[in-house]
Amino acid sequence: MLLDFALPAHDRKLIPEGRLSGPMPWVIAIMLFLTILIAAMGLSLAYAIRDGGNDLAQQATVQIIEPDPIERATQKVAVSRLLREIPQIDSVNSVPDGEVRNLLKPWLGNDVIDADIPVPALIDIRFKNAPDGATVRALKLRLEEAAPKIRIDSHSSWMAPFFDLMSSLILLTLAIFMLLLVATSAVVILAVRSTLNTHRSTIEIMHMMGGTDLQAARLFQRRVALDALLGGVVGFGAAAAVILTLGGRIAAVEPALLADATLPWYGWLILAIIPLAVMCLAMLMARWTVVSALKKML
Amino acid sequence: MWRVFGLMQSVVEFDNVGLRYGTGAETLTDLSFTLYPGSFYFLTGASGAGKTSLLKLLYLAHRPSRGAIRMFGHDAITLPRDRLPGFRRRIGVVFQDFRLVPHLSTFDNIALPLRIAGIQEKDLKSPVTEMLDWIGLTERADARPATLSGGEQQRVAIARAVIGRPEMLVADEPTGNVDPEMARRLLQLFAALNKLGTTVVVATHDIHLLQEIQGAQMMRLDKGRLSDPTGSLRHPPRPLVLKN
Ligand SMILES: Nc1ncnc2c1ncn2[C@@H]1O[C@H](COP(=O)(O)OP(=O)(O)O)[C@@H](O)[C@H]1O
Ligand SMILES: [Mg+2]
Repeated sequence: MLLDFALPAHDRKLIPEGRLSGPMPWVIAIMLFLTILIAAMGLSLAYAIRDGGNDLAQQATVQIIEPDPIERATQKVAVSRLLREIPQIDSVNSVPDGEVRNLLKPWLGNDVIDADIPVPALIDIRFKNAPDGATVRALKLRLEEAAPKIRIDSHSSWMAPFFDLMSSLILLTLAIFMLLLVATSAVVILAVRSTLNTHRSTIEIMHMMGGTDLQAARLFQRRVALDALLGGVVGFGAAAAVILTLGGRIAAVEPALLADATLPWYGWLILAIIPLAVMCLAMLMARWTVVSALKKML
Repeated sequence: MWRVFGLMQSVVEFDNVGLRYGTGAETLTDLSFTLYPGSFYFLTGASGAGKTSLLKLLYLAHRPSRGAIRMFGHDAITLPRDRLPGFRRRIGVVFQDFRLVPHLSTFDNIALPLRIAGIQEKDLKSPVTEMLDWIGLTERADARPATLSGGEQQRVAIARAVIGRPEMLVADEPTGNVDPEMARRLLQLFAALNKLGTTVVVATHDIHLLQEIQGAQMMRLDKGRLSDPTGSLRHPPRPLVLKN
């Protein structure tokens, strides 16, 4: 019975409960605050590059750079038809010339665009799965039959450095997360030992009066679990407040570059598991510490 | 009521028991004796003779270095560790240094053995209250040990040891800190418990106490050896008939 909270009131008196009085709940609160924050960061980044990243990586733009407008139009139709026949491609969206001009306006200026300079024909395509370089090259070869002056810009290629950075950041947060977990465990272990030292005489007295190892362990474990739980609640609450505030700021950033870098709902579940896991660790440690201390007595 | 000791099973049997702390000389040597149910024993001897050490063997805080001990009809040496709590609950102990739980009130300290034994809260109020009355500490029921005098702490320690009506009571210098009048009262408490069938072992160097209990037997420790001039500990006169 690990989660043995149903101790009679008089048993609880044997080892007084801290109620945030000792240092242990506060240290655990701080450690958990940091652990949860870093976990939230890692989760958000991972979520952003998996969902947003996948989305971008599936897309590519086909450009037909043909100066003659009539020729360009026929090639565009031919290429679109070809693209639609390729099974790996999910959708083909031929961008109207007017829209292309609008896109270019900020770069080239109204005057230039209004003059009849040639602009490339654009076709947005979306692959079923993010294509690799070979796929893109094969596609280009095939499309060159219909339009010799063709370019394919797969978004994954220009996004690659960004994703590399993101991946490094995720690895970094993972490493910090692991280090914090190790430090938190160490804090829990030290706290359990110091609590045992404080209450060693009580445990010895109970032992001499015929208390079983389990009776002592249960009392002790309950106290330690309460400390860890209080620390966990405080740490989680503080971290949640920070995450929500930051999430609001991120959502307000224009353009919505970071829009995907917010925590998905299941991320909160994972974050909530962290304090519970630390509490369970504390209880197991408490039980183990008491039982092994008692085992040394007859 | 008449009791025939010779026909009764022993509470404790020591056979050639020796105890050595670490690698030094033996603190207790060649102890062989038998304790019978319902008897009252005084254990005397100079300071350092080994009284506390012998009592520790009796309340199962130590295992001897050699020899055999039977307790309540079981071999106490080979008893598996997980059966010891059950045996300890049959023994009440008054520690020389009291060992009260510092953050518990007088009431809760006295109630401790009953709670460990799983007695319901509604069933322990009346015996604890009665015991508080016996030791004259009703007024101090809510006091912490640190606020009690040495003698008061000792009374609490004694009340805690006897509250569970143990089959054997082991007391280490239980009257060391109380005035003679209170010492007599406490001995009466032991005697009353003894009349109910509890075997009592009291370690003391206070010779005057010995006269207080009719029919009590004396065990004398001298440098870790039991002097048994009459041989009555090893070979108790049987049938020994004692009038209650
Ligand atoms: N835990 C221990 N470790 C080592 N020596 C001890 C220990 N307890 C008692 N002794 C030694 O054993 C001897 C007997 O001590 P004790 O049993 O306390 O005697 P008494 O109670 O008769 O005064 C003493 O010399 C004491 O120093
Ligand atoms: Mg002593």
